Amino acid sequence: MFHRLSYPFPLVVIDRLVEVERGKSIRTAKWVTANEFTLAGHFPGEPTMPGVLTLEGIIQSALILVAESHDRGRLTGSLEKVERIRFKRAIVPGDRVDFLVSLMAMEGDFWKFKGKAQVGGETAADADVTLKVINREVGFDL
Amino acid sequence: MMENREIQTILPHRYPFLLVDRIVEIEPGKRGVGIKSLTGNEWFFRGHHSYPASFLLESLAQVGGIVLGIKAREENPQSRFIGLFAGVSDFQFRRCPVLGEQITLKVELTQSLASIYRFAAEAFVEEEKIAGGQILLSFSRSPSGTSR
Repeated sequence: MFHRLSYPFPLVVIDRLVEVERGKSIRTAKWVTANEFTLAGHFPGEPTMPGVLTLEGIIQSALILVAESHDRGRLTGSLEKVERIRFKRAIVPGDRVDFLVSLMAMEGDFWKFKGKAQVGGETAADADVTLKVINREVGFDL
Repeated sequence: MMENREIQTILPHRYPFLLVDRIVEIEPGKRGVGIKSLTGNEWFFRGHHSYPASFLLESLAQVGGIVLGIKAREENPQSRFIGLFAGVSDFQFRRCPVLGEQITLKVELTQSLASIYRFAAEAFVEEEKIAGGQILLSFSRSPSGTSR
């Protein structure tokens, strides 16, 4: 479903879509393993999932929710603003991260989300982010 | 002015997650200006050409880490420290930088509370401001721990 969103994915952070309620909320998951490419440099000998990739997971989940909420059209989603994110705990190899993202408000092209990353029920990060979403209705796309 | 080799003596970050190339101005413990160039064979440019917004935050945070790390090293050359990304507040993105551009990363310490340091952070491409907001780092010195 990522192909409908022209968003730069340096790496798809999400492994699995667990459940989605159109226009409302989404739950996705990622497993963290020591074999991941980014962990080699973050940090040598002390692999820790970079906080910005946790943020990326929340953003990607929000984008999937956007895509799931539109049946057609070509969508462009971009990160407009991070109102707030707080990292509460490190995420390390062996952890499973659950991303829970809810749509809070839509103001024109701006979609506001509340997102959370959890490891075993414990909050690892929580965030408020705004995406700019443009939906162009074009012919018989998809 | 600090070259990449010296940056690596302060930050534990390495490829593929060292996201600052050079420090051009620095006032230890206060402010710093770094640069990050974007070229085509970097790993995140597979199939697209813009630098992800979240990576821009990481680049700025790394400059903040250098500002704090240099100060800690000046005070005690043996000191070990742990710097972690603690959060972001009110960070607005105007556009993402693209391949072929050089980003100027400016950070200035605005507040410190216990081990949390708040920076005003801005990113520019030439004269154009492309993003700005506040970033928070958690920075603590440990007598024997590993430095991050």
